[in-house]
Order: sequence, then structure tokens, then C-alpha cells
Amino acid sequence: MSSCSHCLLPLGRLAQQREVNGEPHHFCCYGCCLAYQVHHGETDEPEAAALLIRLGVGGFLAMNIMLFSLLLYSGTFGPADTWMVKLVHWLLWILATPLLVVLGGPFLRGAWQAARQGHVSTDTLVSVAVLAAYGYSAGQVLSGTGAVYFDTATMVLVLFMLGRYLEARARVQAARSLAPMLAAERAQVRVYADGIDTMQPLRTVEAGTVVRVLPGERIPVDGVVLEGHSECDEAILTGQPERQVKAPGATVHAGTVNARGQLLLRATAAGNATRWIQISRLVQEALARKSSLGNTVDRLAAIFLPLVLLLAVATVVFWSARVPLGQALLTGLAVLVVACPCSLGLAASLATTLGIAQAAHRGILIRGGEVLERLARVRTIAFDKTGTLTQGRPQVVDLWIDAAFEHEVIYRTAALARTSEHPLSTAIAELARERGVSASIAKHAQAYPGAGVAGEVDGQLVAIGSSAFMSALGWEMPLAWSHARNFAGASFSHEQESAIEANPTHASHTLAFAGWAGRVRARIALADKLLPEADKTTAVLRERGMMLVLLSGDRETVVASTARALGIPTWRAQLLPEGKVDALRDLARQCGPIAMVGDGLNDGPVLAAASVGIAVGAAADLARESADIVLPRRALDSLPWVLCLAARVRRSVLVNIAWALGYNAIALTLAVAGVLQPVVAAALMAGSSLLVVGRSLRAHRAYAEPVAAADAVEAGAGLARV
Amino acid sequence: MLHYLLVFLAGLAGSVHCLGMCGGFACALGRDPRGAAATLRRHLVYNLGRATTYCFLGVTIGFLGLLLCGHEGEASTVSLAQRILAVVSGVLIVFAGLQFFGFSLGRWQGLSASGARLLTRALGRLLKAPGSGAPLAFGVLNGLLPCPLVYAFVAQAAGSGGPLPGFLTMAAFSLATFPVMLMMGGAGLWLRSRGAAGSSPYSGAAALIRTERRQQLLRLAGGLIVLLGLITFARGVMPMSAHVHGL
Repeated sequence: MSSCSHCLLPLGRLAQQREVNGEPHHFCCYGCCLAYQVHHGETDEPEAAALLIRLGVGGFLAMNIMLFSLLLYSGTFGPADTWMVKLVHWLLWILATPLLVVLGGPFLRGAWQAARQGHVSTDTLVSVAVLAAYGYSAGQVLSGTGAVYFDTATMVLVLFMLGRYLEARARVQAARSLAPMLAAERAQVRVYADGIDTMQPLRTVEAGTVVRVLPGERIPVDGVVLEGHSECDEAILTGQPERQVKAPGATVHAGTVNARGQLLLRATAAGNATRWIQISRLVQEALARKSSLGNTVDRLAAIFLPLVLLLAVATVVFWSARVPLGQALLTGLAVLVVACPCSLGLAASLATTLGIAQAAHRGILIRGGEVLERLARVRTIAFDKTGTLTQGRPQVVDLWIDAAFEHEVIYRTAALARTSEHPLSTAIAELARERGVSASIAKHAQAYPGAGVAGEVDGQLVAIGSSAFMSALGWEMPLAWSHARNFAGASFSHEQESAIEANPTHASHTLAFAGWAGRVRARIALADKLLPEADKTTAVLRERGMMLVLLSGDRETVVASTARALGIPTWRAQLLPEGKVDALRDLARQCGPIAMVGDGLNDGPVLAAASVGIAVGAAADLARESADIVLPRRALDSLPWVLCLAARVRRSVLVNIAWALGYNAIALTLAVAGVLQPVVAAALMAGSSLLVVGRSLRAHRAYAEPVAAADAVEAGAGLARV
Repeated sequence: MLHYLLVFLAGLAGSVHCLGMCGGFACALGRDPRGAAATLRRHLVYNLGRATTYCFLGVTIGFLGLLLCGHEGEASTVSLAQRILAVVSGVLIVFAGLQFFGFSLGRWQGLSASGARLLTRALGRLLKAPGSGAPLAFGVLNGLLPCPLVYAFVAQAAGSGGPLPGFLTMAAFSLATFPVMLMMGGAGLWLRSRGAAGSSPYSGAAALIRTERRQQLLRLAGGLIVLLGLITFARGVMPMSAHVHGL
């Protein structure tokens, strides 16, 4: 995807192509083209100098024109000096002609480009205004009568150019936080080979390439640390604010920032196959997608611009019957100039871009402005349970032992557990790892589906399974445990959720038994624990007045107890994926748009069916996901922040549009009424764009603070911008 | 006319100040490969660009002054606004003049230094570009460099009562800086041709005038500027009858 070389935002319809320092560059607008050349001219000589010469010569001509025009206006030349006035008029014409070429060229080219594509652009308005002022004034000079308006044409050009330049600079500031992400594919990598470092493009990096990363730089590849110790800021991928310690052997991820020491890495994947590049592409796509408000604005502008041309003509016709033609023409020019809907075009895109950028910095991916718009309207949030609000796998929460040592129990069960992939086995193996018990592997292990598993550990038969399995083996159960015969115990099957039966007293617990040498020696309670952040998140959302719903495929008792624990009033259990979709549609009919939060892999259909699908932590398959928003793993608690962001962006867009429309409406009315001088109109127009940009930036700055630290690291290290 | 003569003299003396920064630019502008006439044109075009900026500033500020005060003679006496303007610009001129005696306003210095850095970065590139567009653009941008001398005369133009007097004030000042700047250009060429400029023609040319002599000239310029300021100030506070014709 091509993006603007200056602000890195996607190219629009009226993209410009320039060759700067021998390389082709694309710019989304003339302002970016200007700003890029001025900025890069500091290091790159000839072309930037050419631009500066253009500006300087333009400035020379404009200043002379203004100088003589001001002398004329102030009545310096009395009635006796008519020949002098005529001379000055000729002089102005002579000065204005090269100016039209030097400063007006880009606008005329833009207008021509738009005309060839069959539409009217803001460049068209500026060009028509300037050419009209110039043509009329030239006629006046030839006929030797009346006033000339070369200064108007000049000032309109100068102000518009200044306005575009400032706007482009402001936009870059807005997109600055996104710059490293958008430029990821164009990054240069310090490749270490044969004792020397060379800078190479990222795409040439392959698995096995050795790369050096200096402190403060962004790590360009996924890899393993060969040398060096450092800490990495991985917030952009994981959302975790704490720095992660990296020592030789540690894995590092592209996109994270190397905070402290120099690292030598061996790439484990090709440079353009990392998740970071994938994110970069997704964000670029997201930015390229016009939000529906943005589309509306575009359609409005498409109708608005030709109307403005007509309105300007009508204004001239109307006023020419009442005042001298020159004055009528000026009024028409003011209409043209003031109606440039530059600020309207910026209103939606800028706020949205800022929102997406901020989210991206927390590792949150948002697929386009439209998602944010939809999310801002959501009042109901549906959650999936397993893996979203809970860990997604059972854990050992309690262990009762009879006639054995704890160490022994863990050792033997873990040895047996290592032979099976079952969630219960995994939980036991994890317990062993936590307690630091290293187990061997059981021999002759055999799984009995729906019942348990048995095998030989150190020459002795060991079994884990339901109470029924224990009785089938004929093993004696301690009296206290056998009271609860009706526990039914744990059954071993591949359908984890449907087959594991619950302890009726602790709805979400599951019990398993283990034993050897003729008796049951351990009772193991397993549960899928709630995520620590789940409680806080649901509490915050409830406080915000969100309606919460739990949709799960799990058994009713388990779902009900989870809902109770989290204070979720509405829940539906034992839903198949299609059932979830139906339940969601039912709810949507009652409560309007719903956001669905799921784990992304299993919840694909329901995420796609929701107004906004939010996937948590399933980063593995980003591109294939049907989610609109992807939160990093363990970052459920950033959900309230995202909702807040969506509301803020929507508000910002609406306020921007209101400002732009109101500003234009008032200015246009004044212009039609003949109150506004074209020069003032041009200044007002440039002002409105800057106003919108400034508003958006200010509105977002308050929220950008947590990110500022990461930016500072990057800026401080002087990381090369691409 | 006396007034403009005073401006010219102050400018002439003050142009020693130009040696410091703008003189370096003039030296660096160098030679046109097409010969002596082309080289002279190059330097004249550069100075024309500079003069244009100054004159534009003069006319604009004079026009603003006029807008603020109205046409002279419209009111029965010199309007209050015009007197206030004269007082303010007089004070500004005196301040600018005092800078030549070593008084400085810290913040202003910092501001002008950072502005200068910004512009010199841009200007540095223009110096190397061929053609006569480059020296013109160079001169125009050079004219925008922050400079206490220019500020003093712009303040003078503000109090002058209209665009034309403003224009003439700044034109007189610009012309006054021509000799020194052209001389510096010539000196730069001469030094360069002798290869005596060392690493930079800039320092070599500045060394042409001894430091003590420069100090003396700067003091003279400062004195003249302060005098101009006091006259302007006086126009604001003295009764009508005391106005000296021509000043």
C-alpha cells in the first residue's frame, strides 16, 4: 500500500508524485509535498534548495506587489499623479505574472488534475479565484481604468500556501506517534556480518541474519538474543507497561523498544514476516478505510464544491448590477476562497487517525474509523466466558491427601499427566512445575475416555480419574471423600467442557481422584479461574451504565456462578457457536447494537455477527480474524479505555464537523453579502483548517500521556525516521 | 529630507553591525563563473532581495501605523494614537540603539538566536545553488533574519506616519547597508582568490576591520540610533509647536 512520504497517511485521490533527491515520492497533498521538501532539504541538497528558491522568489514578487499596492491604497499618489498610478499598475502586472507561475503553479496543476478526473477540488476554487483576479486586473491595466487586484491574487496564493504548509506540519505531528509503525516495512536494519555492521533494508533480513540493536532503538526483527543484556518495552505488542528483562537466549519481538543495553540478535523469521509488520499493514489498512462519517463528508464536499462555483458566479452577477464590476468580482472571489472545505475534509480523518494511533500504542488494533464510530454507539457488551473472562484452562485449586506425602502425590500424578494432553493433565503438570517437582514419564500409560488414565510410575500402577474409575479399579476411597459419591468425579474425554461434571456445592469446581497400591490417596479440585482483571473490568463497565451479558457454551451451573461472581445480570449457557449468534441477534433486537468480546479463535462467527467484535489475546492469527478490535493478551482491562476512546473520537469528529460547517456557513454568508475581502477570506480559510487540527490535537493530547514516555525514549535515541 | 539623511547616516554607521552575520553570507555568496559582471549582478540581486524585505516591512508597518492613527491632518491636532505610537516606537528604537553599547534583553537575544539558527539552516543551502534566483531568494530570506538594527528602523517606520514615509525610511536604511555588504562580497572574493581565507571566508572578512575600530563604529551607530529614537519619542510628548520641520 502506498502512503504519503511525509505524513505516512494513505494517499488520497489527489495524490502528488515528485522526485526528491532522485527517488520517487508520493504525497497526499501539496502541503505535505512542501513540508517534506523543506524538512528533508536540511540534509538533502538540490531539490529542497529549488523549493526554497521558489518560495524566496515568490516572496520577493509578493512583497513588491504588496508594497506598491499598499502605497496605492493609502492614497500616496494624489490625483495629479495619474501617470504614476498607471506606471505602478503596469509594474504590478509585470510582477504578478511570474508570481502566478511560481506560486500558483501547484494549485493550477491540482485543479487541472481534478478537472481531468471530472471533478472539482479545492485547488479548482483557488485557481479560479486567482485567475479571475489576475485576468480582470490585466484587463483593467490595458483599458487604463479602475482598480487592479493583483495583490488579492497574490495574497490568496501566499496564504493558501502557508496554510497548506502549516496544516501538513500539524498533521505530521498528529501522526508522529504512528510513524514507526507505519514505516515499519521501510525501516533500515543494522546487520552484523563478518565483524562489521551495515545498514540494510528490512526486507533483506532472513531467518538466521544477525542484527545489532542499539539502546533506544526499536527491535526490527523477531529473534533470539545472542549477546547483551537489556530491558525491552513490549507495551506495543502486549499492552504490559513493565519492561521485560532480556538476556542471552531470550526471545525478542519486532516492534518492541530496546530500552537499556546493546543487543545482538539472531533473526528467527524473515524481516517482513513478523507480527509487527502484520500490525503495520493492518494499521495502514485501518487508516485507509474511510469512516462512514468521513464518507458522508466526502460526498458532501463533492456536491458542495460545484455549488460554490455556481454561487460565486451568482454573487458576481447579483452584485454587478449594483456596484462596479471590480467590486462585484471581488465579492465573488471571496465566496470562492472562503468556501474551500479544507477543514471539513480534515474533520473526520484526523480525529480518527489520532484515535487509532493511540490505541495502536497500547497494542490495541482497531480496524478503521468506522469501528470506532460503531463502538461509540454500543450500550450492551456480551462476553464469552472461557478464555475471555477465565483463564480458559482448569487449574488445580485444592488438593486433599490421604496416606501419602504431598510431594509423592504430585510426583506420581505428574508423571502420569505427562502422557496425556487432556486439560486436567495439563493442570496437574503445571502444578508440578510450580512446586518444582520434576517427574519422569509413566510407562504403559492408557487413557480410558470419559473415565481416567492409568500407567506405571516407578514400577507401580498409578491412576487418575473419576470416582467411578477408582471403584472400577477396586481401590478404597477414604471415608470423608466417599460421602460425596454423587460428585461423579472427573471424566476424561476430549470434550472438556461438556464432559467434566461439577461439584454441586461448588458449582464451578471439578473433582478428580488419584491413587496407587490399592487405595485412593488424593482428591484434586480443579477450576477454570476467573482472570484477575475480569472483576475490575466488569465493575467499571457496570459503573458506566453498560448492560453486560454472558454468552457461553459451558454448563448452566458454571455460567451462572461466573455471572454471579462478576455481577453480570443476564447470561445464556450451553450455547453452540451458532446458538451464540442467534442469542446475540435476539439481544440486539432488544438492546440495539452490541459489542461481543471473545477469544477470537473459537468465537469467530459471533464476533463477526456483533456490531463490534472484540477479540482478546488471540494475536496468533490476526489477519484471519473476524474481529474489529483486537486487544492484547491479558488486556481485558483496557476495554473501558477503548470504549472511552471511541466516545471521545466520535465527539471530536462531530465537534470538528460542527466547527467546520459553522465556520464555513458564517464565512460564506459574509462573503456573499459582500462584507468579506478576498484576502481576509483566504486568511479565514487557512485559519479554519488550523483550528480543526489544533482542536483535534489538543483533545487527544490529554490521553496520550502514558505513551509519551515511549516516544521520549525513541526521540531521545534519535531513531532514524524512514 | 533631513530625517532620511539621519536614517541613512545611522544605517551607514550601523552597517558595521552587518559585518558580524550578513557579511559572512555576502562573502560566502562568492563568484559567478560567467565573469566579473555576472558576479556583481549576483551580489546586487542578493542585496535587492534584502532591500525588498526591508522596504516591504517598512511599508506594511507604516500602513498599519496609518490605519491606527488615521491620516495626518484629518484631525485638528496630531491624534493621541499617533503620539502614543511615536512614544512606543521611540522607546523601542532607543532600546535597540542601546544594544550597541552592550545592553541586551536576554530573552530577545535568545529568540533572535533561535530564529537565526532556523533561517541560517535554510539559507546555507541557498548559498550553494547556482543561478540568479538563488541569491534573490537568499536576500529575501536574509532580510527576515532577526537583527536589532532592522528592528530599530522598522520601529522608526512605524512612527513615520504612513506607508510612503515607512518605505522611504527603510529604503534609506537599505541603501546605507549596500556599501558595506558589497564591500564584504568583494573582500570575500579577494580573500578567496588569495587563498588566505583559511577554513572560512567568513572569519577572514570579519578580520578586515580591526575589532577596536568596529567597536567605535558600532558605538557611533548606537548613538545615532538612540538620537533617532529620542527624536521620535519627542514627537510623541512635545507640544505641537515644538515640532521641528523635516524631522
